[in-house]
Amino acid sequence: MPDFPTSRPVLAGKSARHGKGITLEALPEGHVLQVMGATTSADLRALLDSAGLTGSALRPAGYRQWYAVGDTPLDAQALQAIVTALPPGTYLSDQSHGRVRIRLSGTRATELLSKGTAVDLHDSAFSVGHTATTLFGHISVHLSRTGETEFELTVLRSFAEALYSELEELAA
Amino acid sequence: MASLITCPHCGQRPKEEFTIKGDASLTRPAPDAGPDVWYDYVYLRSNPKGLHKEYWHHSSGCRRWLIVERDTVTHKVHSVTDAALTKLGGAA
Amino acid sequence: MSNHRLSTGGRIDRTRTIKFSFDGKALTGHPGDTLASALLANGIQLVGRSFKYHRPRGILTAGAAEPNALVTTGAGGRTEANTRATMIELHDGLIARSQNRWPSLAFDIGAANGLLSPFLSAGFYYKTFMWPAGFWEKVYEPLIRNAAGLGKATYEADPDAYEKCWAHCDLLVIGAGPAGLAAALTAGRAGARVLLADEGFALGGSLLTDGDATLTTILAELDALPNVQCLPRTTVIGWYDDNVFGAVERVQKHVALPDPHQPVERFWRIIAKQAILATGAEERPLVFGGNDIPGVMMASAMRSYLNRQAVAPGKRTVVFTTNDAGYRAAADLEAAGVDVAAIVDPRARSDAGWQGKAKVLANSCIVDAAGGKALRSVHIAGASGTQTIEADALAMSGGWSPIIHLACHRGAKPVWSERHAAFLAPERQEGLTIAGAASGHASTSACLGDGARKAAEALAAIGFARVEPTFLSADDTQAAATPFWYVKGSKGKAFVDYQNDVHLKDLGLAVREGYGDVELAKRYTTNGMATDQGKLSNINAIGILAEARGVSPAEVGTTTFRPFYTPVSFGALTGTSRAKHFQPARKSPLHEWAKKNGAVFVETGLWYRSAWFPRAGETTWRESVDREVLNIRKNAGLCDASTLGKIEIFGKDAATFLDRVYCNGFAKLPVGRARYGIMLREDGLIYDDGTTSRLSEDHFFMTTTTALAAGVLTHLEFCAQTLWPELEVHFASSTDQWAQMAIAGPKSRAILSEIVDEDISDAAFPFMSARTVSLFGGNLEGRLFRISFSGELAYELGVPAGYAESVADAIMQAGAKHDICAYGAEALGVLRIEKGHVTHAEINGTVTPGDLGFGRMVSTTKPDFIGKAMLTREGMQAADRPRLVGVKPINPETSFRTGSHILADGAAATLENDQGYVTSSCFSPNLGHTIGLALINNGPERLGEKVMIWNGLRNEFTEGVICSPVFIDPENEKLHA
Repeated sequence: MPDFPTSRPVLAGKSARHGKGITLEALPEGHVLQVMGATTSADLRALLDSAGLTGSALRPAGYRQWYAVGDTPLDAQALQAIVTALPPGTYLSDQSHGRVRIRLSGTRATELLSKGTAVDLHDSAFSVGHTATTLFGHISVHLSRTGETEFELTVLRSFAEALYSELEELAA
Repeated sequence: MASLITCPHCGQRPKEEFTIKGDASLTRPAPDAGPDVWYDYVYLRSNPKGLHKEYWHHSSGCRRWLIVERDTVTHKVHSVTDAALTKLGGAA
Repeated sequence: MSNHRLSTGGRIDRTRTIKFSFDGKALTGHPGDTLASALLANGIQLVGRSFKYHRPRGILTAGAAEPNALVTTGAGGRTEANTRATMIELHDGLIARSQNRWPSLAFDIGAANGLLSPFLSAGFYYKTFMWPAGFWEKVYEPLIRNAAGLGKATYEADPDAYEKCWAHCDLLVIGAGPAGLAAALTAGRAGARVLLADEGFALGGSLLTDGDATLTTILAELDALPNVQCLPRTTVIGWYDDNVFGAVERVQKHVALPDPHQPVERFWRIIAKQAILATGAEERPLVFGGNDIPGVMMASAMRSYLNRQAVAPGKRTVVFTTNDAGYRAAADLEAAGVDVAAIVDPRARSDAGWQGKAKVLANSCIVDAAGGKALRSVHIAGASGTQTIEADALAMSGGWSPIIHLACHRGAKPVWSERHAAFLAPERQEGLTIAGAASGHASTSACLGDGARKAAEALAAIGFARVEPTFLSADDTQAAATPFWYVKGSKGKAFVDYQNDVHLKDLGLAVREGYGDVELAKRYTTNGMATDQGKLSNINAIGILAEARGVSPAEVGTTTFRPFYTPVSFGALTGTSRAKHFQPARKSPLHEWAKKNGAVFVETGLWYRSAWFPRAGETTWRESVDREVLNIRKNAGLCDASTLGKIEIFGKDAATFLDRVYCNGFAKLPVGRARYGIMLREDGLIYDDGTTSRLSEDHFFMTTTTALAAGVLTHLEFCAQTLWPELEVHFASSTDQWAQMAIAGPKSRAILSEIVDEDISDAAFPFMSARTVSLFGGNLEGRLFRISFSGELAYELGVPAGYAESVADAIMQAGAKHDICAYGAEALGVLRIEKGHVTHAEINGTVTPGDLGFGRMVSTTKPDFIGKAMLTREGMQAADRPRLVGVKPINPETSFRTGSHILADGAAATLENDQGYVTSSCFSPNLGHTIGLALINNGPERLGEKVMIWNGLRNEFTEGVICSPVFIDPENEKLHA
């Protein structure tokens, strides 16, 4: 009997792909926390910081919804500490295994993304820090601009392989 | 039909991201409202020429239910509001 | 074969030679050629045979409206029929073939149709093939399709890649002629985001023909502007709501072997704040006898071939024109040293101030052209009598029709302009402005000025301050045009619609027979119904109809313009969504585990579910499924239940909310307990079912069926946001977060006890318990549920999805000594049918809770829930409704199928005698015979009744008996063990 069950990243074995002007890579399956309720980005940021998650990004995901994401997995205690610290009327659903992050970067990143999403990714309309929940082709994704030519796509785990494969093809 | 809907939470998006439910002017009757009122609510729909308010769900976006007022003749969208916030009187 | 290429001039690269073939003959051309210009340069005028009469046809235009020169290009899967030779950019290795001829282009047996032409006139099909009715599909249509038609599609798969993309801009400029270029430059200098699309491979439009020096300057500046994107080879094909445009870019249609990593075509959806339609004008053919003989060409096309590709189609050309365009063609021909035999002009005097050598025959018309496969001579009638002139080419111009299709795609109606003798579209619509020749301007300077001015206006409308037009508006003092619809007295066929072989007399006939309305005449004669959609023919047809009816063209009106402007390949519309990307594959976190255990997968929606796990020696799926089922009832099995929908429900009002969406009570469900729930639709019928557990006071965990996972979440959100927005409740889909494993069978507790740290005895963890548990000595947390679909002692264990494989392996390892097996959806189906549990086979959109035996679950105390009011309707409570029962064959050796209908014993097999149907059936290895669940009228009151189970499709009859739907363990002893 294994004492330590192991987690198998769904995109394990997918090598980082480098096409012309495109780098595609699966990010570590760290933490993805879905937060819902009557709070603000500033309050949530402060809460994450005080929980020691200064490296986690906080990303708006629509009306009264956020994702807090980072590269390190959180154990049950760390998660419970955050849940306990949430203000009344605010709730957390751990999606660390339910959603997978893919990074897309390079000079052709916006061009590639425009093949899947109708969101205007021009610098003037979607600057660094902007996020959008949108369709990429047939697959729903949460898209964030993390740098001038760097984006992150968060996708449901069951669709991760299909999305990665489609991105690989478009990046070639 | 419109090609683009401007979601109050997400901005302008293509119609593919939305699912339409239908008439947004209907009010769910009280349980004891009687069979006639319930028949109307469940089965009868008007097919207006001109302005029409519909429920659209931003199913591939923020997953909020919106009230889209559009013109069935010109297809022009006149307003898009969040259904819940509208019903609560705009309160956050 | 004579060489028609001039020794100098043109925008071709003479230093490079391109090799291509036409009908197997090796030919050459140069970069800058189209297939049409290269064929003309090689002296080839005869390019195809016409649709109905198989008449020899040549090249009529130099652009997108080409109705005649349709060829098949490519080979194998790249075969493309009906492509316009005028739009194909010449490239090395291009293979082109003529169409609609047999055995050869020069000798075509189908041309005999021409002799039968009295029988092939307008309305011919309608009149002739009406009787007997059965003959249409079997005899007439195949014959007609064989005789007429165009190129043939290939049966081979297209090997090339296609893709779609979105684009956003402040200003979309459609057409890169003078107006479009001026618009793009104006907007580009103002800093706007500009897209400039043109269907040609070179930008410039008429400037390419006119040799205007400003073109180079403008293109260089546009190229240097980072905010301007030029899209040559891109046809904007539709204008849609909210200023969204569709466009097709031919990325690699001009190479014989495309780069596999690049698409051959790209479908653009362009969201434009403003757009300028600068598509120019189409020259109108003249309608006279023999106007389709190879060698007859539009005057503007001849100028284009002459100036762009240095090709003179004829050695001796006659010009027939109603306007200045013919004189421009004559001047260019003479300048190039080509003999112009005469200029024939029906007007009393020309306004062109003709200075050239050729004689002008005013007040004259070409009545008939003569020649078979090539033009030989023209017969001219005028005020001073008749004469015949020998010529091998004819340039014609019947005036100009602005290209306004896109402006009318959203319902605007074209308006007849007497001054232009043409239909114009409204010049300004919200988001779209028409500029240049498309709005009726004629001169290059007027078009430049108009494009610049309208771009400035369009940008001002979206907040760009003080945009300077790059060109000044010029006076456009054009004379009023006189329409000239057809030449009177022609002996030969005078074609109006070349592609569909509709000629002048067909339209006259349509009017005489009462089909003079423009929409009726279109369908009666098929004018404008070919793949060119009447780009050249519609306006002439309207003029001819108007004259025959004695009204103005305004009164006749136009037919409706609809997308697409030109034909679009299925590949472009499909984009990347084909083969393995046809739809995304959705994989369970246990997919790899199932695969290594030998699972056979079945597609369920987007999911791949494990269906059964064959073992060595098993040759049929039934052997595997029977073994799995028997083993679960005897020992234990592990099944992937991850595809069931899972929804986390949070909020202080979550319990109240659930009470309103389920027909049974949930508000009092204790923490740590699960409950089976039934959700109704507002009409009182069952929508979905599943178990929902309370994990804390304000946190519930709902499961849905696989099929309705998305639908239920949407429904919950609708209820929460639109019906009861005052409730504090939030939803998070956690289908993908949790790998869910069903561990079923009498040994399941013993197996799980090795993994779960806590006591899961019946006393500590009774049926319907649900809570977070510690696993592997505290190394992992999971959620354990004591629920059962099989009717056995069973659990469902949820673990974070990444751990799925590892945990499933551990369970299989722990279960090995208990003979655990993996089982799939098929065995799951058998187990639940044996137990009488329902799925969407029974929840078929027509059943109430009572119909499925859940009548007593429906709350009578809750003030309201979805479906409550309508469930009280009389018919919903009627005893004779089809209700759930079991059925089994009287003779266990016999069997029946799902979908079979139930007849009362001895009743005839008719629809009237239908008593219900079998919703699910399977072979029960535990009972040794087929069993079924059925919805039968008044079923529960008919237990023990003998019935006939009838499959009308296969004409199978099985004697059966109605029984309880619970075939195994009706007392639920196993469940509560």
